[in-house]
Amino acid sequence: METVQSLILGFSVALQPAMLWYAFLGCVVGTLVGVLPGIGPLAGISILLPITYGLDATKAIIMLAGIYYGSQYGGSTTSILMRIPGEASSVMTCIDGNAMAKKGRAGAALCIAAVGSWVAGTLGVLLLTVVAPPLAAFALGFGPPEYTALLILGLIFLAYMSTTSLVRTLLMAAFGLLLGTIGIDVMTGHFRYSFDIAELGDGIGIVPVAVGLFGLGEILATPSHQVVAQVIKPKFRELWPNRAEWRASGWPIARGSVLGFLIGIIPGSAHIISSFMSYALERRVSKHPEEFGKGAVAGVAGPESANNAASTGAFVPMLALGIPTGPVTAVLMAALLIHGVPPGPTLVNDHPSVFWGFVASMYVGNLMLLALNLPLVGLFVNLLRIPYAYLYPLIIMFCVIGVYEVNNSIVDVWIMLIMGGVGYGLKKFAFDPAPLVLGLVIAPIFEMSVRQALIMSDGNWTIFVLRPVAAALLAISAALLVLSMSTYLARRRDWRAKIAAEAGEET
Amino acid sequence: MKIRKDHVAGAAFIALGVVVFAISGDLPFGSLAAPGAGMMPKVVTALMMLFGALVMLGAADSAPLASLDWSDRNHAALVMLVTGAAVAAYRPLGFLITMTLLVFCLLVIVERRNVLVAAAYSAGLTVFAYWLFEKALRSPVERGLLWF
Repeated sequence: METVQSLILGFSVALQPAMLWYAFLGCVVGTLVGVLPGIGPLAGISILLPITYGLDATKAIIMLAGIYYGSQYGGSTTSILMRIPGEASSVMTCIDGNAMAKKGRAGAALCIAAVGSWVAGTLGVLLLTVVAPPLAAFALGFGPPEYTALLILGLIFLAYMSTTSLVRTLLMAAFGLLLGTIGIDVMTGHFRYSFDIAELGDGIGIVPVAVGLFGLGEILATPSHQVVAQVIKPKFRELWPNRAEWRASGWPIARGSVLGFLIGIIPGSAHIISSFMSYALERRVSKHPEEFGKGAVAGVAGPESANNAASTGAFVPMLALGIPTGPVTAVLMAALLIHGVPPGPTLVNDHPSVFWGFVASMYVGNLMLLALNLPLVGLFVNLLRIPYAYLYPLIIMFCVIGVYEVNNSIVDVWIMLIMGGVGYGLKKFAFDPAPLVLGLVIAPIFEMSVRQALIMSDGNWTIFVLRPVAAALLAISAALLVLSMSTYLARRRDWRAKIAAEAGEET
Repeated sequence: MKIRKDHVAGAAFIALGVVVFAISGDLPFGSLAAPGAGMMPKVVTALMMLFGALVMLGAADSAPLASLDWSDRNHAALVMLVTGAAVAAYRPLGFLITMTLLVFCLLVIVERRNVLVAAAYSAGLTVFAYWLFEKALRSPVERGLLWF
C-alpha cells in the first residue's frame, strides 16, 4: 500500500509538463544516440551531462535515464535496417533482424523490437518499483565492511560475467582502480600522481575518461570509408506483424524481460550480456533452431526485450545501494551527486520525489518511446543517410564542449584526448574498457570503506569476516573467483566466450 | 618465438606498473592496520602487473602481432592531431573560432571534402552549437581573447 502511495507521488511529479518535456527530450536524444553508429549511451550521456546543470536533480535524472533506455530502443533500428549495431547491446538483433528485413519484413521486425522493448521496459520498472525500496531499507544497516565486500563482489561479478577473459577484465579493473587513486588522499592529505597540476588534485573525473574511451576512441578506430550506409526503408503500412509473428514473439519477450532484469541487477555490461544470453536461450528452447540466423522472430524479440529490461534492472543497485553496476550507471550516479542528491539507501526517504518521480517517469518514458519509434522510423532512417564523414566531426565537437563544460577545465579535455588514444589501443588489443571505468568510480569509495572499516575495528581485518553480511558477500566473491579461475586454468572456453565467439562469427 | 598481441599488451601493463612504482616512492605505505596513502595505489599496481604477466603467459592463444590491422592509423593520427590542436587553441581563441576550425580541418584535412562545403557546414554547425549551449541551455561557452 505504501508503495502504491509513493508511486502516486511519483506520477504527480512525472506527469508535470516540465518533467514530461525532459523525459521526451531524453527519449528522443536517446533514440538518436542508439540510431547513430559510433556513439553509445555512455558517451551520449557523458557528453550531454553539462546540459543538465541548469536543471534540478529530478529533471536531470529523468532526462539522462531517458537517453539510456531510449538508446536501447534506437539501437535496434540500425541493426535491423543496416546490419550495423547502433549500440553494442543490439549486436544480436543484427543477425535475425536484418535477415527479416531482407525477406521484406523490416517493418514487422521493427515493430516486434519496439513492442518487446516496451513490454520489457515496463515490466522492468514494475520489478524496480517492488525490489528497490525493500533493498534500500535492508541496506540502511550496511556499514563500511559491508560496502567493501559489496564492491569486491561487484568487481568479481563483472569479471565473471564479462564476455572477455577473467584476467583481462581484472586487469582493466585494476588499471581503473589505479587511475581512481590519482588526486588528494582525503585521509592523509597526500597528493598522489598529480604532478603539480592543480586540477589533478581532485582526481580524474569519470566524464573525460568515459567520453575518451567510448566516444573519441570509437571514432579513432572508425575511418569514414568503412561506414557505408545501405538502408532498407520500410513502409509505414508494413509495420504491423502478422499473427504468426506475434505468436512467435510472445514467449521470447516474456523470457527476455525476466532474464534481462535479473542480469541487469548484476554488475557488468548487463544490457550487452543479457542480449547475448537471451539469444542463446531462445535458440536452445526453439523447436526450429535452424531458423536462427535466417530471420527468426524470437532472435529479435528475445534480445531486444532483454537489453531493455537489463537497462532498467541496472538502476536497482544504483538507486537502492548507491553502487554502480556499470559505466552508464556510474555516470548517472555522478550526475545525481553533482545535483546534491547522493544515490543509495537514504535516497528513498530523503528525496522521495526524486526517487519516485524517476521511477514513474520510466513508465511514461517507455510509453513515449513506443509512440515515437514506430511512426518516426522514416525520420530516423533518413538520419542514417547523413554521411559518417560529416557526423563524427559533430560528435568530436560535442565531446570537447561536453567535457570542458563539466568543470570548465582544459585539463579534463586533455585527459579525454589521452583516454581516446588509450581506448583506441585497448580496442586493437581486444580489451573491454568498461571495467576500467567501473574501477575508476569504485576506487575512492572502496579505499574509504576499507579504511573506515579498519578504524572501526582498531586495524583488525577480521571485521570483514565477523560481520555476517560482509562475510556472506565475500564468500560469494571467493566462490565466483575459484569458479572462474578453474575455468581459466583448464584453458577451456566457457559459455560466455562461446556466445561471444558465435555472435562474432554470425555478425 | 613469434611475438603475439598479448605479449605486447601484457608487457605494456607491466612496464606501466614499473613506472608507477618508480614515481610512488614518496607515498607512505602505512601498515596493514592503518593503510597509508600509498597502499591502495601500490597494491592495485602490483595486481595490474600480475594480471599483465598472466595475459603474457596466455599469449599463445592470441593472434600474432603482425596480424594487427593498422589500416586506420592515419585516420586516427590525423583526428588526434587536429583535435589536440583544437584543445590547445580552445582557451585563447574561444568557442566560435576553435570549433569552426576543428570541424573544417577534420572535413578538409582528414576527409578531403570540398573546401566550400566544409566551410559552410563547419560555420553553420558551430553557430548552432553556440546557440544551443549559450542561449537555449544557458551554459556559457569559452569566449577566448577575442570575447566571442
